[in-house]
Amino acid sequence: MSEEKKSENINKKGTGNVSRRTFLKDAGFVVGAPAIGTIAASSGQASAQDRAAETQSEDGSTVSRIHTEAATTIELTVNGDKYRFTVEPNWSLRQLIRDEIGLTSPKDWCGGLGACGSCTVIMNGRPVLSCLTLACECDGANIETAEGIAKAGHPIIQAYIDNNAFQCGYCTPGFVCTSKALLDRNNNPTEADARDALGGNLCRCATYQQHPPAVLQAARELKKT
Amino acid sequence: MKTIKKFTHIDAKTVDEAASILRAGNASVLSGGTDLLGTMRFEVLPDYPEVVVNLKSIPDLEYIKEDASMLRIGALTRLEDIAKDETVKTRYTALAEAAHRTATPHIREMGTIAGNICQLTRCWYFRLPDNRFNCVRKGGRQCYAVMGDNRYHSIFGAVKSCFAVNPSDTAPSLVALNARIKTNKRLIEAGNFWDMAVPGSTVLGADEIVTEIQVPKPAAGSRSAFIKFAIRKSIDFPIVNCAASVLNGNARICLNAVYNKPYRATAAEESIKGKTINEESADAAGAAAVESARALPGDRNKWKIQIAKTMVKRALLACS
Ligand SMILES: Cc1cc2nc3c(=O)[nH]c(=O)nc-3n(C[C@H](O)[C@H](O)[C@H](O)COP(=O)(O)OP(=O)(O)OC[C@H]3O[C@@H](n4cnc5c(N)ncnc54)[C@H](O)[C@@H]3O)c2cc1C
Ligand code: SF4
Ligand code: FES
Ligand code: FES
Repeated sequence: MSEEKKSENINKKGTGNVSRRTFLKDAGFVVGAPAIGTIAASSGQASAQDRAAETQSEDGSTVSRIHTEAATTIELTVNGDKYRFTVEPNWSLRQLIRDEIGLTSPKDWCGGLGACGSCTVIMNGRPVLSCLTLACECDGANIETAEGIAKAGHPIIQAYIDNNAFQCGYCTPGFVCTSKALLDRNNNPTEADARDALGGNLCRCATYQQHPPAVLQAARELKKT
Repeated sequence: MKTIKKFTHIDAKTVDEAASILRAGNASVLSGGTDLLGTMRFEVLPDYPEVVVNLKSIPDLEYIKEDASMLRIGALTRLEDIAKDETVKTRYTALAEAAHRTATPHIREMGTIAGNICQLTRCWYFRLPDNRFNCVRKGGRQCYAVMGDNRYHSIFGAVKSCFAVNPSDTAPSLVALNARIKTNKRLIEAGNFWDMAVPGSTVLGADEIVTEIQVPKPAAGSRSAFIKFAIRKSIDFPIVNCAASVLNGNARICLNAVYNKPYRATAAEESIKGKTINEESADAAGAAAVESARALPGDRNKWKIQIAKTMVKRALLACS
């Protein structure tokens, strides 16, 4: 584990509103920086103030914390590691995974429209689009990314290699996550099941034909173990 | 990737709490977020919500239950769970098929039934980033589609000068199955749920929240089906879709993506009434469905009339 590296990642992030970020490690948690959810210019409006409680920040200035009951500190598990972060309401899960944790497998092709699947991660067993998932809603979530799937030695990785299921590889992490989520639920998928499950992942290099056989190969491997 | 502009996020604990936040104004409810967060990231609308109210933090809104009289689906139930549910598949087939054909597997895993029926139109002028076309539907003065590229637009005319279509795949199934939509205030017949508001697409009041979908249990011997035409099998919105339910020579037929709201094809229902469904009668019903359809000037969306006719025919044949 490289806390220094993570701390660097945090400090590099240009959210603008965050004056200071520290990084601590305690009780087995990787602790994210306190980025108190500040409300943008709109915080002066009465309706926002009704809904948001005023709190004192560490440096003494007054900031509006998002709704007192809605804590912005989240704890989540990513590839088996536990993390604690204080996140801003507008951060996507993709942003958290890439910019804060430093895992770069969730890609971006469609710009965050939900139309390409290249940002897919597995969240609580479901393949989801990390670009359209808010980080602050991931408290308690169990997330898997392509890095974790590869590190765990899941047979889908070798099956992708054996079946040449990629060319440039840009879309591959998204496909791998979607395929793994299918295999977790269905240990005997048909080719049609694989095609159906992968229907939300786009590949600019058009490697589509190679994916179903890779999924079926991984399913056979999994049955052996 | 563009970072979503700032907002305040509140995890609602109850529907009442969510409604009270909506009453304070300038707030949007978020379920799966697959539609809402896209409109926010690209600042599609003239107004940007100051507050986003998460409904997923409200317990007990995600369920599929059937009792003696009806099927109840919690507002937050994901489309994928509806598509895979054995009860829905066997007795409410049109809804299961519609849920299965919606969007992509990922969006079905995230997207909810309430979000699907409340989603905003996909008119490409409306959806252009940074509110570049402040059209009638956004409170502006002009419809850009009527003179522009309207190949996917309404074939049954405008509502309040807007030619956009309702893009939902599940909506026509709910109309065909005579469903009701329960909110924190009332019970609404599916047939009356969609009505163009600016910029919305439903009759929901400002602090109204969908809590449940209720579908009456179909009588023994009834059948239902959903058919969708889109360019790609996955991902694409419907060019035209159609749901039908049939019992003893009576049919309820609903098209979508052809008009501002799901379009009940009553002329087709009349045409097929009392008849055995076969190639000929289904074809005639399809023709009846589009009798009053008109392409927009320039005929760019004329192709949709032929597709709508065929969708009605195929939906009926699938029920035979
Ligand atoms: C790439 C892509 C392809 C798509 N393809 C299709 C398709 O083929 N067919 C189709 O039908 N849809 C399609 N969609 C739309 C998608 O299905 C819907 O966005 C999804 O079902 C919305 O559900 P959600 O829970 O994510 O809604 P959200 O994004 O959370 O909400 C959508 C809207 O409904 C409102 N809302 C949500 N819940 C409630 C509630 N309980 N009461 C009142 N208002 C509420 C929100 O304020 C918002 O305005 C597609 C979307 C994308 C991004
Ligand atoms: S069709 Fe409706 S949504 Fe599209 S540009 Fe015209 S008014 Fe706007
Ligand atoms: S980046 Fe395209 S779906 Fe998330
Ligand atoms: S391998 Fe290049 S985008 Fe899929």
